Amino acid sequence: MKYMVMMFGDQATMMETRSLDWIKEMIEFMTQVDVDLKEWGEHVFDAGLADATQAKTVVIKDGIPVPTDGPFAESKESLAGYWIIDVEDESRALEFASKIVAFIEGPVEVRQVMDAPPEF
Amino acid sequence: MTSKTGIEDLLRELAPQVLGTLVRRYGQFDACEDAVQEASLAAGVQWTGGGVPANPRSWLVTVASRRLVDEWRSESARRRREATTAAMEVVPAPDQLPDRDDTLTLLFLCCHPALSVPSQLALTLRAVGGLTTGEIAKAFLVPEATMAQRISRAKQRIRDAGARFDLPPEQERAERLRVVLHVLYLVFNEGYAATAGPGVTRADLTTEAIRLTRLLHRLMPADGEVAGLLALMLLTDARRAARADEDGSLVPLAKQRRELWNLAQIDEGVSLVTETLGTTAIGPYQLQAAIAAIHDEAPTAETTDWPQILALYEVLERVSPGPVVTLNRAVAVAMVHGPRAGLAILGTLEDDDRMTHTHRLDAVRGHLLELAGDVDAARDAYRRAATRTASLPERRYLTLQAAGLEPAASPNLREE
Repeated sequence: MKYMVMMFGDQATMMETRSLDWIKEMIEFMTQVDVDLKEWGEHVFDAGLADATQAKTVVIKDGIPVPTDGPFAESKESLAGYWIIDVEDESRALEFASKIVAFIEGPVEVRQVMDAPPEF
Repeated sequence: MTSKTGIEDLLRELAPQVLGTLVRRYGQFDACEDAVQEASLAAGVQWTGGGVPANPRSWLVTVASRRLVDEWRSESARRRREATTAAMEVVPAPDQLPDRDDTLTLLFLCCHPALSVPSQLALTLRAVGGLTTGEIAKAFLVPEATMAQRISRAKQRIRDAGARFDLPPEQERAERLRVVLHVLYLVFNEGYAATAGPGVTRADLTTEAIRLTRLLHRLMPADGEVAGLLALMLLTDARRAARADEDGSLVPLAKQRRELWNLAQIDEGVSLVTETLGTTAIGPYQLQAAIAAIHDEAPTAETTDWPQILALYEVLERVSPGPVVTLNRAVAVAMVHGPRAGLAILGTLEDDDRMTHTHRLDAVRGHLLELAGDVDAARDAYRRAATRTASLPERRYLTLQAAGLEPAASPNLREE
């Protein structure tokens, strides 16, 4: 089963609240997570996103789509990166998410990717 | 017995020649291109088991022609042909020109201005580079079906544009060559930019860009910019092994372990620059190659000949002005006349609209402020740059630079 595992946050908040050592460890941790996922045969895709302050949101104004600066949610609550993983069941996806949460100490959202109906 | 790699190299060398022959004989660039791709795949299988035929080129022409005829026999293909032959007339009489190398014509066709840049890249790699759709898809990290569609739409565009299989007319040639060089430059960059990512190496694209540019240089030995681009690629790629450390982090030029640089490539690049400079019209690729050569020839970062680099950037700014050139000149000025002089030049870019969407101005500013000992301002500049970059390795590098400049580190502060 495929799951999307999502991480939130922004660059400014991290720079204000984290030390150089923590950032170094975080980079090592995230690099290792991708290595591990590939090793376990569960990696489908992963992506880090450019900082949310660089986002544009297209909204409808007077019936016309208009691009505006900034993300949809608050920057610090915006999507920062995600993995698509292919795992045996939900508990495995939650186990993976827990590993991330234990390190970043922030919430991680786990959503199942919808699929075709089963054959029988 | 020819090895698998040997066969692949041979097939990729022959692919554009075979395609040229077919297009001259039958017209219909798009159908011929598919047929050559199929013939190459068949050859890859058959030659690996049964050995390479005595005349591999005519083997491929025969097999590809057969595919083409098979294709035409099918009803749907016939309808398509009736709709399109008129649009892609070709100067016939291929046999009067047996030794003519069509590779150059192909290169111009694949870099046709009617195509979007991603399409130019994909089509060039397939038709001239002889890569399979699967290989190209993998290199650009997109699904194979997406890449197949991109290539097929590119061929459709060429047909719609009424392009002919002929070299561009003399008066358009220089401008069209500029596009070809830009496409090759982008292929190189696509591979080079990715090599810093953890676990991701797309070194194949840099190798392929160098191979194609070398081919172009062989076809147009007198063109200084072709030689310049080849030299620039060789001199830049020579530093590949030193550009990232074991865990994939970016290592800036000044901190690279120079013993990891590829000396053979540096030698080749330097000779190309030396032979070319001054013998033909000067151009931006030659100048950038000359600058790269000065970096590559310095045994240590400290012994880099910055006054010479600055002089070259001043010429480059006259020949090919732009904010990125100014940015690089500012660094050279800082290295020759001190960081404050460099920062003054950055000030002139402040209001440049072309700089508003890039992190590079702040990244350079952070570096120069750090050199000037202004820790607080340097940290702010690095932070702004880290927030704006769209490259993960670069963001990590800039974040660490900013975090490493916490006020506690200020005892190291120095005045220039």
